[in-house]
Amino acid sequence: MASTPHIAVIGGGSTGVGIARDLAMRGLDVTLVEQGNLTHGTTGRMHGLLHSGGRYAVSDQASATECIEENRVLRDIASHCVEMTGGMFVKRPEDSEEYFQEKLQGCKECGIPADVVSGAEARQMEPHLAKDVEKAITVPDGAIDPFRLVVANAASAQEHGARIETHSKVTDLLVEDDEVVGLEVEHASGPGKRVHGTEGGTEEIRADYVVNATGAWAGRIGDMADLDIAVRPSKGVMTIMNIRQVDTVINRCRPKGDADIVVPHETTAILGTTDEEVEDPEDYPEEQWEVDLMIETLSELIPMLEEARTIRSFWGVRPLYEPPDVGSEDPTDITRDFFLLDHDERDDLPGMTSIVGGKFTTYRMMGEQISDHVCGKFGIDAECRTADEPLPGSEDFSVLRDYMDEFGLRSPIGRRSVERLGSRADEVLKTEGPNPTVCECEGVTRAEIQDAISQSGSDLNAVRIRTRASMGNCQGGICTHRMASELHGEYDEGIVREAWDELLQERWKGQRHALWGEQLSQAALNYALHATTQNRDNDPAGGDPVDFAAFDSGVDHTDDSGTADVAADGGKPDGD
Amino acid sequence: MAIESEILVVGGGLAGLSSALAAARDGADVRLVSYKQSTLRQASGLVDLLGYTPDGEGPLTDPYAAMPDLPASHPYRTVGVETVREAMAMFDEVSGYEGGHTDTNALLPTHGGTIKPTARYPRGAAAGLASDDRDTLFVGIESMTDFDAPHVADHLDAAGVPFDVRGETIRFPGDLRADAKVTRYAKLLDTNGEVAVRGRKVPAREALAQRVNPLVEDAERVGFPAILGDDNPGAIRDALGDQMGVDVFEVPMGPPSLPGLRLEDKLFEALDESGASFETGNPIVDFDGEGHVERVFMEKNGARIPLSADQYVLATGGLVGKGVESDRDGVSEPVFDCHVPHSDDRYDWFDTDVFGDHPFAGFGVETDDDLRPLSADGDVEFDNLRAAGSVLGGYDFAAEKSGSGVSIATGYAAGTSAAAEVR
Amino acid sequence: MSDAQPTDFDPVEPNTGEGFEPVEVFPESDDFDLRPGADSCYKCSVCDTNCPVAEVDDDFPGPKFQGPEQWRLKQTDDDYEIDDSVMSCSNCMRCDSACPSGVPLSQMHNTARGEYVEEQMDKLSVEYVRNRILSNYRLSASIASKVPRLANFAMNFGPARWVMEKTMGVTSERDFPEFAQQTFREWWAARGGADASRANAVESRERRGEPADADKKVAYFHGCYSNYNTPDVGKAMVHVFEHFGYEVVAPEQKCSGTPMFANGMLDDARRHAEVNVSSMSDLVDQGYDAIASCTSCSMALRQEYPELFDIDGIEKVASNTFEAIEYLRIHEDVKGEIESAEVSGELAQEFAYHAPCHARNQGLERQAVELFRDLDGVGVEDVGDSCSGISGTYGWKEEKYEKSMEIGDEMFEHMEHAEGETGMTECPTCAMQMEHGTGYEIRHPLELVEAAVVE
Repeated sequence: MASTPHIAVIGGGSTGVGIARDLAMRGLDVTLVEQGNLTHGTTGRMHGLLHSGGRYAVSDQASATECIEENRVLRDIASHCVEMTGGMFVKRPEDSEEYFQEKLQGCKECGIPADVVSGAEARQMEPHLAKDVEKAITVPDGAIDPFRLVVANAASAQEHGARIETHSKVTDLLVEDDEVVGLEVEHASGPGKRVHGTEGGTEEIRADYVVNATGAWAGRIGDMADLDIAVRPSKGVMTIMNIRQVDTVINRCRPKGDADIVVPHETTAILGTTDEEVEDPEDYPEEQWEVDLMIETLSELIPMLEEARTIRSFWGVRPLYEPPDVGSEDPTDITRDFFLLDHDERDDLPGMTSIVGGKFTTYRMMGEQISDHVCGKFGIDAECRTADEPLPGSEDFSVLRDYMDEFGLRSPIGRRSVERLGSRADEVLKTEGPNPTVCECEGVTRAEIQDAISQSGSDLNAVRIRTRASMGNCQGGICTHRMASELHGEYDEGIVREAWDELLQERWKGQRHALWGEQLSQAALNYALHATTQNRDNDPAGGDPVDFAAFDSGVDHTDDSGTADVAADGGKPDGD
Repeated sequence: MAIESEILVVGGGLAGLSSALAAARDGADVRLVSYKQSTLRQASGLVDLLGYTPDGEGPLTDPYAAMPDLPASHPYRTVGVETVREAMAMFDEVSGYEGGHTDTNALLPTHGGTIKPTARYPRGAAAGLASDDRDTLFVGIESMTDFDAPHVADHLDAAGVPFDVRGETIRFPGDLRADAKVTRYAKLLDTNGEVAVRGRKVPAREALAQRVNPLVEDAERVGFPAILGDDNPGAIRDALGDQMGVDVFEVPMGPPSLPGLRLEDKLFEALDESGASFETGNPIVDFDGEGHVERVFMEKNGARIPLSADQYVLATGGLVGKGVESDRDGVSEPVFDCHVPHSDDRYDWFDTDVFGDHPFAGFGVETDDDLRPLSADGDVEFDNLRAAGSVLGGYDFAAEKSGSGVSIATGYAAGTSAAAEVR
Repeated sequence: MSDAQPTDFDPVEPNTGEGFEPVEVFPESDDFDLRPGADSCYKCSVCDTNCPVAEVDDDFPGPKFQGPEQWRLKQTDDDYEIDDSVMSCSNCMRCDSACPSGVPLSQMHNTARGEYVEEQMDKLSVEYVRNRILSNYRLSASIASKVPRLANFAMNFGPARWVMEKTMGVTSERDFPEFAQQTFREWWAARGGADASRANAVESRERRGEPADADKKVAYFHGCYSNYNTPDVGKAMVHVFEHFGYEVVAPEQKCSGTPMFANGMLDDARRHAEVNVSSMSDLVDQGYDAIASCTSCSMALRQEYPELFDIDGIEKVASNTFEAIEYLRIHEDVKGEIESAEVSGELAQEFAYHAPCHARNQGLERQAVELFRDLDGVGVEDVGDSCSGISGTYGWKEEKYEKSMEIGDEMFEHMEHAEGETGMTECPTCAMQMEHGTGYEIRHPLELVEAAVVE
């Protein structure tokens, strides 16, 4: 082979980074471009379920079988992103017994370990389950942190030579002689790590092959070369609870419907979801009824949810696809399977393949298939190793857990940090100086923040998804300015201020859907802190100049200093 | 029987304290009951009157001059500018705060690196005024993430302050653990306890001054985060200032706030001196009476303890202090169930911008001219109940920087008016 | 949240937090999942500003971390241990009376401490054995009181104390409390018990112009200390209540459990609580209210019992328990009687009054000062809102002694500055610390009420 083929991958979600890692490990040159942060699209907006396959065991057994296979792979290669919580399909009295049996049977047919437990046994495992839950099927569902998983995949791809460009939006496909030969991208802040205030610019990235892994956005990329890729984006809401009411994934055992799953995720529990087709993956209504539906319906399974605190809600769009001839009316009927659309075969436009549909749990398998496909184009016969080589952070770190004391952190903070960092804990947490906690809700220390800054430039939202800082119950009320200050050593005040404002705005966005009860009180406190105490709503930096001379310049106290605390003489009390 | 007084104030924050003080100083027999500690400990300890108009105009130099132009429903309009002045005079007398020498607002540096307009400030913050053009050094503590001095200094510089400003970070002498509380620093400095510095025991104030001294250079004043003592802040500032040859000041901080705590102590002391009774720890949960409050009930672990008075003041706070509560269906005032105007659609309670015009910030009860809460129909709910402070609606304390002033003014007005009733 | 609560009016469920319902994770055990309590926390850190331990000991991370943060961050699986700093919490419960948002802080600490002791502490360690002995004061006291003179000598015998410090970590700096020659219960029995009390009450009612059969009866929870060490407090309680026309009974009782909570000995505490609850709930059913003279005892019965245990009748006992003077303030015109009284003799003097931490959640921190404000012949001066620093057994531990005294310094200083040379407090262990730090004699407010109103 004359030279190593250069592959451009569009999309920094799980599929894109999975492909980039796979191709890079097989020795290809890879450039991945993503319009926002990593996980900007659907990946960053899912409930974090590591499927056992149980959910598809009746309706879509092919997907179910893939899920259980990949479930086992990810536990192995992404151990620091996965928490094996176990899962249950619980049956309420009004749910169909026939379906319960079908589910059990389906799991067995797909090789998913499944057992029936009584209602009492289920409540023994999960005490907050409703008293009238009759029975449940246990399955090996788990929780997975999509941010950490994607960041680790990207890091691994980089280790194998890939170039990862975030905040770089594809503005055009380069088509020459009826063949896709590359991309035109607009960098928000110059190539490399994002730094606010750095001038962006356009770049032409020429590639031997382009992979469009943009999920719900695939149609937009297609449009740039007049390709018709009929993705059918479907939105779903997820509501985040402040704490974990359950430590096991709880699924409602019934055919299909909204609001039927609770996933324990890190310190929180995530309620999901709805399924409603939308026109535009970036512009769709986020509505109150969806949040209310989550809480009310799932309270049937876990009654305490009715009064429990939610900290935010968010929506994701599934990148559903079905071949144009199927024509499903209801988005819930659209297959969760994925499709490789080779535009040469399909549209007579060589040089690009789109990957659409599919689901998070099988991201690696999708990456493997499309990498096989791409390698096939170049006659490369390299083996896929992504199922065998652990991701950075997931190398064996069981020993490390025993040495947590060395990091000098309080028990649960050390534990959380080590779980997030996995095998990288040692290099990140062993620091010279003091290592104070920056985000108290999630137990994130300065060392971890600094590590994230070194990976992600001045982008505090990128720091957030790496560390979970500002993702706890105060939603950044107490720590956004601290995070900004952590940036300040590396970046100028103006850049820091921009990043700070961006984080404040981002944190507010999702909280809006949780503004009642405790979270409204929290929002009021945050507002008081940020606006009253810090006066950030009228920040004079960047605003109109202030006429300082027009304000009080104080009175001279040279005469009475030194007796400031002594008010016993009947004089004016000290005003401290 | 019931525990009796002439006036019962429910709530122990700035509004409740001002109200109880005003009434007791007018000779009334006053009891103040408060559920838990107030939001004063979360606030910076600065006392703002009015920094910006509701339209965002500002920073205002003269808060009093802007009051008559506020919307008619604003609490300052309800009580009137003269009452605000009287209330501030009482506050000045009992607090010993600075700023009362002028009607003009002061600008103080914040721990977020901005400046903010305020009307009264503790003496500990006085040397930090931003209109004072002396060159300034800010000193942060390495393990205190709430105050990053170099960041604050650069930010203030960008704000155009009329002086040279630098920030330096030090390690606090004595190697406290990274998560030591602000009260730990304060106590160490209050008692001037000894700390180990290179194997030698040195009193904390001296050790701190020694550590900062080489960094002072041309600075004429040095600002620290507000950790300089709880009981003896003046002595600590003087000791540090003497040893460094500069003026020392504190930058007010977010929660937990030592200046807020000191102010709370000061006001409770004044209340004690005024002869009023007070207790904290248990909530008022219920009341008897229609159109007239006969008595209220305090709950203590299931027991309901009756308290009765002629006049009542509701000063339970806003959403933060839990004097205003909400759920998915609505917003309410939990003690007397007074009407709190709000939209039925909870998506109308906020603006989509983080610092937008948030309706939730103005949640609270509406009152008549005598601060008596009104029902949805506009009738006085109880003839002997007045409301004060953040439980009042119709103003956005955070955007206007008017929270403390409204609490003091309406507290004073409610207390004075209640005392007049029992005379 | 519970069905019994009207949902339209639950703003302020004391000490459990809004919408919070403790749930037993394992129905057969005492383990509670308190993560839901973290829902009430909005991170304002007011709790931290009230922690007397965090103020002197930066190894202790404060109640916000110890409570809502740790509970939210930890998980139920075994990998998550309780941070050992929980053993430095002195259980003063000030964070409870601080939290503006109803986080069940002390319940979180008590439960975490119980879990730590149960699962992480070496049961053969000196620390465990020492803590167990300290928390079972009632047992030691009941033995010692059989031979008070010998016990008073032996317990404070120098060489014995040296051995105790070296082998058990009980500080030799402190003197053990003196045991009374006659316990309160011995006095009570000799005096004629409940029958005598009824007769006295009827006599008072007649004098007061109340019906002879007025339904005024209380069950006295005297606690260990009034029984074994300061029976005068118990006697004052009986005299005062009888004066106001109340029949007093002194039911069967064990330790309130306060020292056991503080040491994470929840099994011990539960055994004692079961006896106390059973005994008191029977009396409550018969129309008695439970009265304590020790504010830690009343706190235990009112708050810690229902928060930590699920015992039949426990809520009923909690809602019918009162501190002695508090009860009189609610039901009698005690303030009026005191205002028109005059004290002469031994107690006609100035007192330096310290409000115990455990009086705070009960709203009693100002009670003595305000009650005696207008009492002729007496002055009661508040020595400030600091913690005495002893917190029951905390200050008895050799490794905590210095911190305990550092916490107490502020109070000692204010006591020295106060006019009086006699101290006053409701709490027996605060009294020990006050005496230890200043050498003052310490009295109980009930003794002063007795001097003022009882003939």
